[in-house]
Amino acid sequence: MSQTLEQFKQAIVAGDVDGSVALSAAIIAEGDATAEQITDHLSAAMEEVGSRYETGEYFIPEMLRSAEAVERSLAVLEPYLFERQHDQGGVVVMGTVKGDIHNIGKNIIVSALKAAGYEVHDLGVNVSTAKFIDKVKQVDADLLLLSAFTTSTRPALLEILAVLEDEGLRDNLKVISGGASHSPEFAREVGVDGFAVDVKSTLAVCRKLLGD
Amino acid sequence: MEGSSGAGREPMTPKQRFQAVLAGDIPDTVPIIPVIDGYYAPQVIGRANDECFMDGGCLAAALEGALERYGYDGTLAEMGLGSHPNVLGCPVEVEGNDVPLVVDTVVRDRRDLEKLAEPDPWSERKMEPVRRLVDSVGAGHAVLGSVRSPFEYAATVRGLVGFMTDFYRDPEFVHELIAATKPATLAVGRALIEAGVDALVIKDSFASSSMISPDHYRRFAFPAEAEVIGELAGEVPVILHICRNSMPILAEMARTGAAVLELDSPVDLAGARRVVGEGIVLKGNIDAVAVMEKGSVADVEQAVRVAIEAAAAEGRFILSTGDSIPLAAPEENVAALVEYGRKYGRY
Repeated sequence: MSQTLEQFKQAIVAGDVDGSVALSAAIIAEGDATAEQITDHLSAAMEEVGSRYETGEYFIPEMLRSAEAVERSLAVLEPYLFERQHDQGGVVVMGTVKGDIHNIGKNIIVSALKAAGYEVHDLGVNVSTAKFIDKVKQVDADLLLLSAFTTSTRPALLEILAVLEDEGLRDNLKVISGGASHSPEFAREVGVDGFAVDVKSTLAVCRKLLGD
Repeated sequence: MEGSSGAGREPMTPKQRFQAVLAGDIPDTVPIIPVIDGYYAPQVIGRANDECFMDGGCLAAALEGALERYGYDGTLAEMGLGSHPNVLGCPVEVEGNDVPLVVDTVVRDRRDLEKLAEPDPWSERKMEPVRRLVDSVGAGHAVLGSVRSPFEYAATVRGLVGFMTDFYRDPEFVHELIAATKPATLAVGRALIEAGVDALVIKDSFASSSMISPDHYRRFAFPAEAEVIGELAGEVPVILHICRNSMPILAEMARTGAAVLELDSPVDLAGARRVVGEGIVLKGNIDAVAVMEKGSVADVEQAVRVAIEAAAAEGRFILSTGDSIPLAAPEENVAALVEYGRKYGRY
């Protein structure tokens, strides 16, 4: 089994969509992998993809190719994981804030979070404050991930945080903002619980805030 | 550079300065043409972006107002914030001072290629602000018409995620998309030339090495750039803009036929000069966010001095921001760009 899982991981890293789907079927057929083993390999694969982007080996199309491999594999693996998964990674609501339509980074992060075992509700791009709040309440989210590519989206972030506060939703919810231009200063200024700039830092901050 | 030529040269008009640099001559001072567009300029005349969105009069007044306030040497002449995606039928919305959003893509698969709107840059008075700017400031200042590359138009009509996913899933479709959007670049470029611009800026933002590999650039973006520039550069000089890091593809950019390469802040200007040789004008590359939006006046001064020292000694340099100046950039920083550009840019 470990060999199939390792091949599966390598197929995701290589963006081999057909290969990763075939290996997903093989994992189910073999039937001895735990849900945790599968999500660990998926998560490690997307971290590797993120590292290759950081070092300039991968670019956006390569990351999208791996994200597609994750999505297609999860579609195959979902029933198998559902039967075996006892500890959910947490419930995440994610979207790109109003005034911003950048979806590449968000899509990649959504795939990486799903790969890591989180239940992810992707609201898309240019998402209004009301839509974020409604979804957080509806699914009783543990994490709210706000994708905002540029710092000009600051007013939108502040509005969401203010409404969360007004409605008493901050106690059980951690808010993370993310985007290439984010910094610790920016995160402090707007008052989020954490920030991330890429796949690796997103997975790390989610784990940290949920105390995993 | 400051004081390097003793008595200095005869004062030139802003337009002469720009023309001198393109002709390979040494101007009186380094020309300054920051990337101030319809996103930054409306606030200069107290208007919001959505007001100038499709109102050519408002947009032209805003660009004129910014030119007058800051006193740089040339202005972008845009069709209007929403017009570029709109040229090919993509619906665009803008609210207040938000960035205009392409709210839907128009090409979901091959069959949609046939449904692409016929590019018509003259409709809906799209050329109105360009004509007005040529009339109002074109005699003394450089007027640069702004158009998107086929690669960028293709990404817009397909949606960036779908477009870049196609690089591996269906590369032939990427070629077909680019071929289908090439007429839009040519139609807009020709309309701008007919309206009287001094040069064309062809923006190819997504071709950046911060987004796609140099291999993909060579395969998809470069051939289309070279083809449209080949068709348009006979009429007016072409400025090729690629965002963020373009260092790995500079040699190819220099072979597109562009007279000027507009370089963003991650590019080392001295290194770029070594790669492209002496014949090409470099335009850049003050960091629009770190320096212009978030930096101090002293940061602007330092960045201007460094850029001029790195690239201006032998002429063929236009001082500029690497990309569009953000809405939140303080007024004093924009003023400092021009002030210190004049101070350190004297020949």
